Formats: sequence, structure tokens, C-alpha cells
Amino acid sequence: MSNNHIVEILKKEIDNFKSQIKVEKVGQVMEVFDGIAKVSGLSDIKSSEMVTFSNGETGVALNLEEDTVGVIILGDFSKIKEGDEVKATGKILEVPVSDSILGRVVNAIGIPIDGKGAIKTNKTYPIEKVAPGVITRLSVSEPVATGIKVIDAIIPVGRGQRELIIGDRQTGKTAIVIDTILNQKGQNMICVYVSIGQKDSKLRKLQARLEEGKSMGYTVIVSAGASEAAAMSYIAPYAGVSIAEYFMDQGKDVLIIYDDLSKHAVAYREISLLLRRPPGREAYPGDVFYLHSRLLERACRRNKEYGGGSITALPIVETQAGDVTAYIPTNVISITDGQIFLETDLFYKGIRPAVNVGLSVSRVGSNAQIKAMKKVAGTLKLDLAQYRELEAFAQFGSDLDDATKRQLERGKRAVEVLKQLQYAPVKIEHQVVTLYALTKGFMDDVPVEKIKEFEAGLIEYSEHNAKVFYKEIKETKMWTEKGEAELKKAIADFKNSFLTRT
Amino acid sequence: MTTISNNEIARAIYLVSKDKSPTEQSLLYPKIIQFLARRHLLSKTSDILLKLGKIINSEEGRTIVVVKSAFRLGEKTKIELVQTLKKRYSSKEIVLDEKLDKNLLGGMRLEINDEVIDLSLKNKIGKLQEYLTRPI
Repeated sequence: MSNNHIVEILKKEIDNFKSQIKVEKVGQVMEVFDGIAKVSGLSDIKSSEMVTFSNGETGVALNLEEDTVGVIILGDFSKIKEGDEVKATGKILEVPVSDSILGRVVNAIGIPIDGKGAIKTNKTYPIEKVAPGVITRLSVSEPVATGIKVIDAIIPVGRGQRELIIGDRQTGKTAIVIDTILNQKGQNMICVYVSIGQKDSKLRKLQARLEEGKSMGYTVIVSAGASEAAAMSYIAPYAGVSIAEYFMDQGKDVLIIYDDLSKHAVAYREISLLLRRPPGREAYPGDVFYLHSRLLERACRRNKEYGGGSITALPIVETQAGDVTAYIPTNVISITDGQIFLETDLFYKGIRPAVNVGLSVSRVGSNAQIKAMKKVAGTLKLDLAQYRELEAFAQFGSDLDDATKRQLERGKRAVEVLKQLQYAPVKIEHQVVTLYALTKGFMDDVPVEKIKEFEAGLIEYSEHNAKVFYKEIKETKMWTEKGEAELKKAIADFKNSFLTRT
Repeated sequence: MTTISNNEIARAIYLVSKDKSPTEQSLLYPKIIQFLARRHLLSKTSDILLKLGKIINSEEGRTIVVVKSAFRLGEKTKIELVQTLKKRYSSKEIVLDEKLDKNLLGGMRLEINDEVIDLSLKNKIGKLQEYLTRPI
């Protein structure tokens, strides 16, 4: 390119440039500490309005006092000095949104951090928004297929539902949500994974796993890492749900995962204490309930007149030593429409996913379950409940009557069937076939240790020999007598060959 | 105990001394000092005085404008500036506090309380730089 050409371009650009002079509200930094700045001036500022510091960092005004404003700094606060100029922007904090954000990893203010270049966008969404009202909503009636048998059968999640995943550390909470994301391929679902205060290594692993499963194409990761300021952790879930709302406004179904809200509450506690707000129970501020309720209330299913679409929220909360009566777990349990309890004991017994079926509930999801699944899951629930009741007697072995023994044997097989490897989501029709075989007693004479092998073989065999059944489930979500007879025959045939083979 | 802010104290001082004659005022001032001493507020007097100054200015319709410019302003410019600002802030009196700042390169920068109207060349060049280096 010749010099003249550059000059020409510059001239053209400068001709196009129009400088707009406007009145700006400015203030001065009075003190800076731990990611908080006290700023004087800024008289007409609004709550959660964005401000810019003279070195380009942004902040959010949270505490509006008589003479000063408490600002949380989003980014590096070490470069901000006392006396620096602070400008009010007149805008409530917002994140850039666009379709090209899919497949990307962004931070809490929507800036990409995956090294794949800038995201082209000219649209922004405010991070704080009032949740959709009662008139715009529709009750839950479509399922989210998680691909995890125990969840899809017993604790089903519907589109627009908020289902809490709760458990101690290292019980497989994140594993459940990764499997769920992996299973959304081809299900017409956009996924937003919000990582709050997690290790960057864990996030990298997760991203790599999603890329391997070709799931990043419909997923956005919003990350506020452990090394970033508490302010970033505080706004990350709101930024995530704003991105989700952008897709919902196009009528799409979105699944959002908050991993995890206990760290979010801790980040908010840190900010609140630094802003000198009075501490309450466990030193959390008084509005920590509202912090989560306003976030989770934004999950919804909208009716067609208001654009359709839905946001399903799967918040995660980590407990300490299984204590669900702590402040944050009880709060979030009461906000959500059910919870999936994960237990360390079950995890080490080898029951994975370590879901405690007795304590887990889904308050609205059963409306969303497909008819065929409802039919088989009803019997399964009963089998498991009776098994739990009788489990204590299991050690008496031979002293039991036949009916009890049968119950125990069925229960053992049910537990075995519900075990599932990580990263191996199961299609809903396969789940129905397996659970059908279990609840109708076809597995009762298969040895417990051979159940997994039997299950895998049965799925393969039935796919070829019960085509009518599969077709019916796919099309009408329920089987007819014809399909059922075909499946029964296929199961019986397979069992005969399986038992003689082994 | 509710704490009284410096602003409220300043306003109280203004209200009690507003319509008093000079003799009454001279009797009043020792009392104010005594009050501040009793309430352990003497360390905050500089802030209270600052607030008092602002209250008096706003009550009397006076607006202080800090004018920063690279070169000294001409008389005509100043008169025009005062006229415009009077209209804009609907105040009776405009007090210009002129300051020279070579860094501005040209033009001027007006500061009215926490409002800033930046008409300086430096600001314009900064904006042009922002525009030319924006991501496309």
C-alpha cells in the first residue's frame, strides 16, 4: 500500500468523524481498596450505572451515599489512583450480545477470553432486568432431555424450570451438567455455562470436553475465574442470563447453568462487607435472598404471544459436609422448583451419578415428562421406594419371605440400571426400553453384575428388532399394543440368547 | 444514635444566621463554635465550611465555574460565556474562576460542580484517536 493511499483513507475517516461534545458528570476517586472505590461528585448517578475511570477500567456504582458513591471496579484496581477522574456513562451495566457469541468463552462483561478474536456485535443487553411477568408466562410442558437416566425418569426437568443441583464437593455436580450439555445436541437448545469462581484449569478441561463432544457450537461459556475480582463473580450470572435472554427473545429454548451460586454469594458477601453494608446471618448481607431470587426468576417459559422461548436454569450449590440447612442452600432450595441431591456416601459406594432419589424432587417436571417415560418411571419409583424401606433387612438374607426377597432383588437391579458412566448420555427411547425391561421384571433373573452388559446388548438388539416400538416413541411419545408386543418379544428373545451365552 | 451529616450541620448554620443583623451574627458565631466543640466536630470544620459555601452559593443563585484554558480568554468571550451559562444554569450570578492549563492545547474546559463541558483541543484529539483506532 502506498503512503498516498494511507493518507487518502485517513482523510476520509477524518471527514466522517464528528466529535460530539456533551456535558459529562465526573467525580474524583477518594479512596481505592480491595476492588472498591469511593468516589466523590457524580451527583445524578443511578444505581448499577456504569462508570469509567481515567485509565479505561470500568466500574459499577452500587452504594449511593450523600456525598460519595461506592463503586465496584471490574478489572484491575491497582492502576487506579486517588484523585483520578471518574466519568458517569449514563448507562446501566450491559453486555454485548450476538449470534456469533456461540462457541465462545467470554468474561463477565462479555469480552472474549478464548483468544479467538473480537466478537462482532452492535447490540447490548442490560445485565439487570425485571423478570417476565405472570401474563407472559406458560407452564412447563416440554422436557429437557438430560440423557441421565435417574434424572429423566425420576426427577424430570422441564423447559423453563429451575432445578437445583446440590451436594458436597467432589460428588459429580459439574459432571451432571456437562452430560446435560452434551446431550442437547440436536435438541434445539442453546446452552450457557456460567462459571463462577472456578479454577481456570477446570474450565479449560470442561471447554475441551465440550469441544470434543462437538457441543461448543450451541454453547456459550461465561467465566469469572477465581483469580478475578469478586465484582466479576458477582455480575457473571446476570451477564449469563442476559445472553440467555437474547436467545430467548428469538424464540429459542436456552439452558443456563450457574456453577456455582455458593461462590456467587461469597463474592457478594465480600463486596457488601467492603461497602460497609451490615452483615446478617453467616455474615451475608440482608439482600442475599433477593440476589438469587431475582436471578432465578428470570428463568421462564414464555407463551407464543410474547415471543415464545424459554430459559431453563440449573443452579449448582455446594454444601459443607452434607449440611443443607445452611443459609445459602435453604435459600436456593426455596427459590427453585426442585433439587437433585448428590451424596458422598453413594458416590463412594459406586452409585454414580450419586443422586439420592429419596431426597431429590422435581416440583413441576413431571408435567413435562413424555407419556411413555411416565408410565415406566411410575413403577420404577415404587420399586426404589420399597427397596429403600427393605434395605435394612437385606442382611438377614435367607430369613426373608419370597415377596421381600423379590423386592430386594428388583431394587438392586434398579439401582444398577440407574448407574451411568460420565460423558455417556442415553437417548430417551433407549431409557424407555431399559426401564421397561426392568419394571416388567425381565431383568429379575439376570445376575446383578451382568446388568450393565445386558442393558447394552438389549439396546443394540432392540434397535434392530423392535423398530415399530422405537418409531412410536419418537413420533407419538407413547407405545401402542402392537409396539409393546414387538418389544416384549425382542426382550425375551435377547434374554434367552444372553443367558445361554453367559 | 443517628449521625448528623456535615451537610445538615452546614445547612443548620446557614438557616440560623441567614436573616440576622451583623451584631446578632457576631453573638451567634461563638455559640456555633461551642456547639461544634461539644459535639466533637471541630475536626470536620473544613468540610462543613466547604458545604456551607456551596449552600450559600446555591441559595443566592451564584454558580462558580472553573474555566480552564490554554490561553487567557478575551473579555468578549468571557461576557458571552457568562451569558450562556446564566441561561443554562438559570442562576443570577456566574463567577468565573479562570485557570491556565497549557496541556489543553487550545479551547477550554468548564467545570461546574461535578459537571464537565470539555471543549478543549486535547479532548477532541483524544476522541479522534478513539474513533480512528476503534475495532471494526
